[in-house]
Amino acid sequence: MKKHFSRRDFLKLAGGAAATVAGVSLLPQFLRKTLMPDQVVNAAGDYDLYFAGTDGWMYNPPPYISPYHPDVLAPAPFTNYMFGFRDVTHYVDSVGGPTAEEKVQNQKMKAQHNAPFFWVNQFDPGNPVDFKLQVTNLGLQIRPDLTDPHTLHWHGFRNVIPFFDGEPTGSVAIPTGGFFTYVYRPRDPGTYMYHCHVEDVEHVHMGMTGIVFVRPLQDGQSFGGFTKFAYNDGDGSTGYDREFPMFMSEVWLKARWNGAHIQEHLWADFKADFSLLNGRVYPDTLLPNSPIDVAASTKSLVIQTDPDTGDLIPNAGLEHLQSQPHSALVTCEEGERVLLRFANLGFREAAMTLAGIKMRVVGRDATPMQSRDGTDTSYYTDTVLVGAGESFDVIFEAPPHSGGSGPDTYVLYNRRYTQVSNLSDGGAAGQRTEVRVYPNGAIGPQAYFNDAVLY
Amino acid sequence: MHTSNFKWLRLALILLLGLLAAGSPANTQPAKAQSPSTGMICTTGTNFSLTAESGHIMMPDMTTMFMWSYGLAGGGFQHPGPVLCVDEGDTVTIILQNFLNTPTSIIFPGQEEVMANGVPAQPEFNGPGGTLSSMTTSAPPSGSVTYSFVASRPGTFIYESGTDTKKQVAMGLFGALVVRPAMGADYVYNRSDSQFTSSEEFIAILSEIDPYLHQAMEQGLNFNMNNYRARYWMINGRGFPDSIADNGASWLPSQPYGALARIYPYDAGTHPYPAVERFINVGTEDYPFHPHGQNGIVIGRDGNPLEGPGGEDTSFEKFAVNIGPGQTWDVLFKWHDAENYSPSNPVPITVPDLVNVALGEFFGGSPYLGVTETLPPGSTTLNQCGEYYIISHNHALHQLDAWGQPMSGPITYLRIDPPLPNSCP
Repeated sequence: MKKHFSRRDFLKLAGGAAATVAGVSLLPQFLRKTLMPDQVVNAAGDYDLYFAGTDGWMYNPPPYISPYHPDVLAPAPFTNYMFGFRDVTHYVDSVGGPTAEEKVQNQKMKAQHNAPFFWVNQFDPGNPVDFKLQVTNLGLQIRPDLTDPHTLHWHGFRNVIPFFDGEPTGSVAIPTGGFFTYVYRPRDPGTYMYHCHVEDVEHVHMGMTGIVFVRPLQDGQSFGGFTKFAYNDGDGSTGYDREFPMFMSEVWLKARWNGAHIQEHLWADFKADFSLLNGRVYPDTLLPNSPIDVAASTKSLVIQTDPDTGDLIPNAGLEHLQSQPHSALVTCEEGERVLLRFANLGFREAAMTLAGIKMRVVGRDATPMQSRDGTDTSYYTDTVLVGAGESFDVIFEAPPHSGGSGPDTYVLYNRRYTQVSNLSDGGAAGQRTEVRVYPNGAIGPQAYFNDAVLY
Repeated sequence: MHTSNFKWLRLALILLLGLLAAGSPANTQPAKAQSPSTGMICTTGTNFSLTAESGHIMMPDMTTMFMWSYGLAGGGFQHPGPVLCVDEGDTVTIILQNFLNTPTSIIFPGQEEVMANGVPAQPEFNGPGGTLSSMTTSAPPSGSVTYSFVASRPGTFIYESGTDTKKQVAMGLFGALVVRPAMGADYVYNRSDSQFTSSEEFIAILSEIDPYLHQAMEQGLNFNMNNYRARYWMINGRGFPDSIADNGASWLPSQPYGALARIYPYDAGTHPYPAVERFINVGTEDYPFHPHGQNGIVIGRDGNPLEGPGGEDTSFEKFAVNIGPGQTWDVLFKWHDAENYSPSNPVPITVPDLVNVALGEFFGGSPYLGVTETLPPGSTTLNQCGEYYIISHNHALHQLDAWGQPMSGPITYLRIDPPLPNSCP
């Protein structure tokens, strides 16, 4: 009788092989394959990134609305229920302590929003490298009645087979406790987004959403004085000095509460109470990133985690933002070019306005602004309309510093004021952040993706 | 977290009936060419006799909805109105007979010098100096009006009520007008780069419904349009899963237009030209439509090719086609597996045992096009021959709903059949 390789065997093997894995995973892929038998490679993590889907709690600010906000089930300082992905790529076994996989399992009920930012180099046929993303489903702790599978849908990936698209009806999804590895060979640079596509109305609204982008092959070469580019422009027209994500999502308090309390609602009644930028609402958008593991952030923006528990480490005093680690602040020096990667996985169009600096749209939906016959279709604007499921690559040139003390501040905000009020008057909330322009040499180069210097 | 066995049972029925129909001899006869199971169904000619009348359609939550719609005289009630296809330069005449109990009309956005009853069509007012009652010459109840115009430029256009528009368009008085270019019926515009595969022409008319408005009209009650709020969103007058049923599906007698896009993979030698999807938004807000697996090339909007003054191409690619109210977008698309995965060029992962994954309703058991595998005991699939199903849906996700029946509404699929010869029915 043929014996199936069960999940139990898989976990045993993963545990046994873990010591080998820690060292081998540092090797280049081709060596890894040579040194390790196939089975061990698969069990032990033949992947570039490893994400876990689960539920958790997040924070949104007052005013409070009974009974939805804060949710009575939410442990302080959190306020609202969510689903999310966590980046669990970099866990290692602790000596005399929990194994890497035990730390992964320990992240159940500790989701993050927005989901980790990650990026992939454009596929090079001359040097083909597969990008592998392993996803596991830790289950939904607050809803043990649910057995929702998860998937990871790379939204906008061209000419992909259903098997790697993450749309569950045409392919497969990951049940609780299961694993699946998505393989990508991205041929088109630009900004994309990703989300779980299982019952996507709900899983997207609940927060299983983030940005993924593809770096062009041209990166590292020199065009127009730049070495980093949004696209393979051949002339540096999409070159930039700093890059920042601007990821849009929404919270309908009633639906979040219903999710935690086993209640239903009519999606036709959808109403976003909070509009988020990089997973936070203004003024939290101005607060710094959680501590970043810069050395590990080669394929994703890695948030530092507790070595014993694997939990996300928040900034001191910002414990309420533990599950929302991403800043939306933009800092730069005068004269620099800054790339903003806008992506909207809210349900409504946003009108992102940068007051006082014109923006040039260089890409849209991961396509350079160039038609089939090469005509340049890039354009300048003050307001970028970003519809649900759209992405925009926008570059601005930081204006000269005014000479006063401290940075010059420009406001970047959603001009649809009715969508961004944080439930309060005035509209100065929600999807709103600042661009702070410093004098030449004042802040030094950007150290990592979404690095904003705070003074 | 919301499961509905009911919905999937219904879907299974739809696919089963479609399979039976496709397998019957009647559908292999030439008649099929005139009414293919998928793709845009044209009503051709230059003289059209339309009605405005009321009737019912079936909703994805198994309710029925009272509608107003245009139909072909003598053809019975249908929704949406017929897709009228004419040639560039045709003089088009449309007689509208009004079987509603209120005045109604048709406006033709994008058409110039429209005549009504032999004179230039003009707005109507509530008495001298009064407010606008109709944007064009209307037909009274039991009356008629005859419109004519020269279809002077190719493209995709809307025709819809110009009378009490907010209510009448919401009640369903809209349809599509396709003007074929002089260059040929397999071009969208008079541009060589607008050529498409003639058997892969699709239309997606996106609309919405507030059931309380329709209930009030059915019962002869007043409805305050300030209270209007859409609770259903539709594609070609259907919500998912009805949206992927065949054209003319017998169980949807008044909703003749399916929205499944069925194509073959792109191949430079045997299948070089793209498919075309003509998107139309007759609703009240932007609909960001997201086709998975491919970026459409937007080559025209509102019957205008995207080109510069010197004829240069200004088309653009999109993975989310964000269509505004009253807009039409012409989008070319094609699909191929960029990696040519097959059993002899396998995916570079260990394919998980199928008992340890959640299987999709359309999954054939294999990652590879044209390949099916035995599914675990107790599993079922709607897959027929290893074809791919790639979803395409509105990304304002709260609209993927049929008044409490989630994962419905404006969802359809791109069905990719294995290259010929294949074993597909």
